[in-house]
Amino acid sequence: MLLSFLLAITLAIWVYYQITYNIGDIAFDKNIDNSEFIVCNEDRITQYYSVGANYQGGEKTIKKELNELINSLNFNESGLITYRFIVNCKSNAGRFRVKMVNSDLKENSFKSNNIKQIQESIKNLNGWKAGEWKNESLDSYYVLNFKIQNGKIKDIF
Amino acid sequence: MKIFIKIVKVVFTILLFAFSIVIIYFIALAPKEKRFKIAEHSQGAYLSQTMFDILKFQYPNYSDAYFEQSVAFNKRGEYAKGFELLDKAVQLDPKLHLGYRGWMKLRKLRDFENSLSDFNRLDSLTPNFVDTPWGEDIDFLRGECYFGKKDYQKAIELFNRNIKNQKEDWTDIHSFVYLGLCEYELGYYKKAISEFQRALNQTKNVPESYFGMAKAYLKLGQIEKAKENILKAENSIYYKRNDVYNEFLNEIYLSEILEFKQILN
Repeated sequence: MLLSFLLAITLAIWVYYQITYNIGDIAFDKNIDNSEFIVCNEDRITQYYSVGANYQGGEKTIKKELNELINSLNFNESGLITYRFIVNCKSNAGRFRVKMVNSDLKENSFKSNNIKQIQESIKNLNGWKAGEWKNESLDSYYVLNFKIQNGKIKDIF
Repeated sequence: MKIFIKIVKVVFTILLFAFSIVIIYFIALAPKEKRFKIAEHSQGAYLSQTMFDILKFQYPNYSDAYFEQSVAFNKRGEYAKGFELLDKAVQLDPKLHLGYRGWMKLRKLRDFENSLSDFNRLDSLTPNFVDTPWGEDIDFLRGECYFGKKDYQKAIELFNRNIKNQKEDWTDIHSFVYLGLCEYELGYYKKAISEFQRALNQTKNVPESYFGMAKAYLKLGQIEKAKENILKAENSIYYKRNDVYNEFLNEIYLSEILEFKQILN
């Protein structure tokens, strides 16, 4: 009986863990995240497409608002810089993580100074709109891509 | 009393083993299609990923498992991992997965060149058949790729081919909108207006057409016509083309319309 109990409890804990956690979840990391950025419900951070989180005027507007940055930054390689972050229920952006790939979609890295500058610019944008479900504002993960071609930011989507 | 305790122990042992067996069965032993469905419905959860890993281990040529496992990674912007899985699915069954990969490269990555390459390869594998990657006409999608590449002449050719495939009354109305946009970019403003009008012949609620017409009329110096159309664009904005995942190449926003309206006034 002890054996069957241990097996069942182990499996139950394992399944609970496997169901509760998702790929791409971003846990607070005191070494890199701003402690002033707070989410409303740490246990319920959805995906942007499930609750309609967006930027007012769309990515087209982001491109306009970041025009100066787009023109000033130079890169040595082509590829995609993808920021994944949280738009919290108060419509603020924070807890950034970044993934980078080259033109062949293999992991890559771009100039860290550029990465930080873009991240700060995203944070300072003020058109983020929190996702909603049944008239309740929710925290959600957002994904924003910067396409780098011929040494410049060519597109944001 | 001793017998009673023994019976209780045996019953609990059986129940606990049964619980464990049920979990193991659904995760690793049930028919692969059944497990695929469970994993698909819990997309993104670690459980889903683990189940796909087990399926791939047991059935290394099960292309759908690679394809479906890629979805959550790509939705979360983890393209290196997502496309590694999707490439494997395409390698195992190109006819089945090339269309989706091309569609993803167009809509998720705006990688027009490689998207076209996938669509063209799929087309060559299915002669005399009009493919519909992810439910959209392949020529409409190729038209979007050329539009993204700013090769407007080639985009016109593909959108027209799409209209021929689907017939005027059944085609996606945004084929006409794109045709209008391409003609506008090429400087043929009267032709652009007539193409935008073709979308409006199908339904009156196409704000992209009204917006495009307003811009074209402005270029032609017909300010009153431009004002009339920008108002219609504003009033029909609720019907605009949008998608919860990504911004379309021809997507418009109310803010742009209002800005343009101010210029006209």
